[in-house]
Amino acid sequence: MIEALLQTLLNGAASGGVYALVALGYTLVFSVLGVINFAQGALFSLGGYLTYLLMGGRIGVNGALPGWGLPAGLPFWLALLLAAAGSGLVALLVERVAFAPLRRRGAEPLLALITSLGAGVVLVNLLQILMGAEGYAFPQESGALAGLPEVLMIGGARIRTIQLLLLLVCSAAVVGLSLWLERSRGGQALRAVAEDATTAQLLGINSDAMVRLAFVLSGALAGLGGSLIGMSVSLPGPYFGIGYGLKGLAVLVLGGLGSVPGAIAGGLLMGLAEALVPAEASGWRDALAFAILFAVLLLRPSGLLGRRTVDKV
Amino acid sequence: MTSSPATPSPTGRRAVRSDERRRGVLRLASLLLAGIGAIAWLGRSADPASRPLAAGPLSLGAAIALTGNANLYGQDQRIGLALAERWAQQDAAGGRAVRVWLEDGASDEPSAIAAFNLLIRQGVIALIGPTLSQQAFAADPIAQRQGVPVVAPSNTAKGIPQIGHFISRVSAQSSVIAPLSIDEALRRDPSIQRVAVFYAHDDAYSTAEVQIFDKALAARGLTPVTVQRTQLADNDFQTPITNALQRAPQLVVLSVQAVAGGNLIRQLRELGYRGQIVVGNGLNTPNIYPICQRWCDGILIAQAYSPELNTPINRDFQRLYRQARGDRRPPQITAQAFTAYQVLHEAIQRLHSKGGLTGVTLGQARVRLMHELLAGRYETPLGPIGFSPEGEVQQQRFYVAEVRMDPSGRDGRFALVGQRSLNGARP
Repeated sequence: MIEALLQTLLNGAASGGVYALVALGYTLVFSVLGVINFAQGALFSLGGYLTYLLMGGRIGVNGALPGWGLPAGLPFWLALLLAAAGSGLVALLVERVAFAPLRRRGAEPLLALITSLGAGVVLVNLLQILMGAEGYAFPQESGALAGLPEVLMIGGARIRTIQLLLLLVCSAAVVGLSLWLERSRGGQALRAVAEDATTAQLLGINSDAMVRLAFVLSGALAGLGGSLIGMSVSLPGPYFGIGYGLKGLAVLVLGGLGSVPGAIAGGLLMGLAEALVPAEASGWRDALAFAILFAVLLLRPSGLLGRRTVDKV
Repeated sequence: MTSSPATPSPTGRRAVRSDERRRGVLRLASLLLAGIGAIAWLGRSADPASRPLAAGPLSLGAAIALTGNANLYGQDQRIGLALAERWAQQDAAGGRAVRVWLEDGASDEPSAIAAFNLLIRQGVIALIGPTLSQQAFAADPIAQRQGVPVVAPSNTAKGIPQIGHFISRVSAQSSVIAPLSIDEALRRDPSIQRVAVFYAHDDAYSTAEVQIFDKALAARGLTPVTVQRTQLADNDFQTPITNALQRAPQLVVLSVQAVAGGNLIRQLRELGYRGQIVVGNGLNTPNIYPICQRWCDGILIAQAYSPELNTPINRDFQRLYRQARGDRRPPQITAQAFTAYQVLHEAIQRLHSKGGLTGVTLGQARVRLMHELLAGRYETPLGPIGFSPEGEVQQQRFYVAEVRMDPSGRDGRFALVGQRSLNGARP
């Protein structure tokens, strides 16, 4: 009984950690701009592919340059960091192309949803042209697991070592980001812009720079998540990030729009809800998870830890 | 305060606005109706089926998955079609030229429908596709209604040819093939009693195939100890696998699509499962190798194609494949796409030589082609095949293969371990 419970907790935490990571990316952008970056799922995919290439992986026969690869591969951890940085830079490009022009013209925030969705679709299709449709798996021997067992037993429950690693990295990223937001000057400036961009500007904070920083960080988080998932379950095709992006979006709403602790709590709750679904109904996992989302929103329309907003008349 | 006559009262303004809105809606509705009418009229007059069949090359439309989750299959099919075109050009003298118009049917139903509609409007004489059974149930009725022959290269779910008399397939139904691999697993380990089944419950192919597996297991006295339902887009199977492993299965049966299957196999092995794995037709592609890598080794799969079949057409097909893809063995899905083109090409040539394509409209040519297609016998890379009057493929030989990965764990092959003819004889 305890073993089964522990197994469920581990299963839930492993997937919930990734959901939290994706939701955090959304949260950062939402808190400063009040819009959702729908390209987040594509950035998730991009991170995975960048890590694969940086580790020395070669482009498959259906790609634009079949057989091409870097002359030497980097160790997984270095490739992971560089891929996160690369995804952050592409997120910055998305901001410049899909968000900044609309912001300058004072366009409806809804339009940015569509332009970011367009940017995401273009990005995924570019990935498909470049890398082809085939699946890729990271070379294990140069990966994070060299010398480690494939599976670990914790109190009778089993978890794949890579998933435990994934959980630890996600937790570290989430804690690190939370601390940075709370304690550092940069983090405080970002929060000030999120609170009120105009006042922050008057106080000497460069709001535009903070918006760009939010995009870079959210892209880096997506890239990190994509790389870790790629290590755990391979890269099944350029579209794989879209599903995680949608789940992250649900977590964002569940936790409360713009709330960092909410994104973490929402991610873990979503992961646990999925893990609790019995085997007989395992195919209805998403339905159950979204039913929970629905129920929470009925009781708390602002999400688990979101702040209630009062309309001023 | 009183309102002046020039300024209408708030109630008056509301009435004026509501009137303007009503007029706007009416104008918009009339414009829409006129537009729909014009499109319908243009569509009617432009229906290519009523036009005389033009001289020159005939067009086959292929709607296959080049994007989305099923594109792993679509890429293999595209190669099969390209090779078939090259093969047809080798002895094209005196025959009727046939060219392929490729359209992305993507991996969902609306895209397959859109691709079918587009190709039919372009005046193709027959269609090849779509890639997934799930898509076929949505798109085939459109071709059926418009009288366009369809040859499905990879739809194995029950009920595909039954959609209508213009629908046929060269991909044998799962019920014929799937049980063969269970037999092979039981031959290797007759003590197997505990079976775990995984399938994607939101996929027509998987749900149809898992019923076949269920029947095959029941016929051999086996009842699954657990059935884990997954979803098409799943990649992380930690929860269903740990659930299943608690029941200590001796055999795992998977009926999922390629990417999910590759991940499932890898995660099953990583989580400590060491028993035999039997997989369904969805994993009949070498594209699973990069995903499950060394963990693919030893999985059993029943196939409708074997590269080891020593016939002239299969040797031709393999030579063309090697020219295109280097020293690799063609997968079943490529062979089936090649076959779909081949049977249509041969039926067109027979019809052409009989004069059946002269002085007819495209619609009439489509009907004649369907009759000719079903009446023919074909020597294909899959072996000799024909069709039932319903359009179901009648194939003689089936195979059981085991995936053998090379020492690097990056590449592998489907090694033939058993062969079965339809009368059940095991060579």
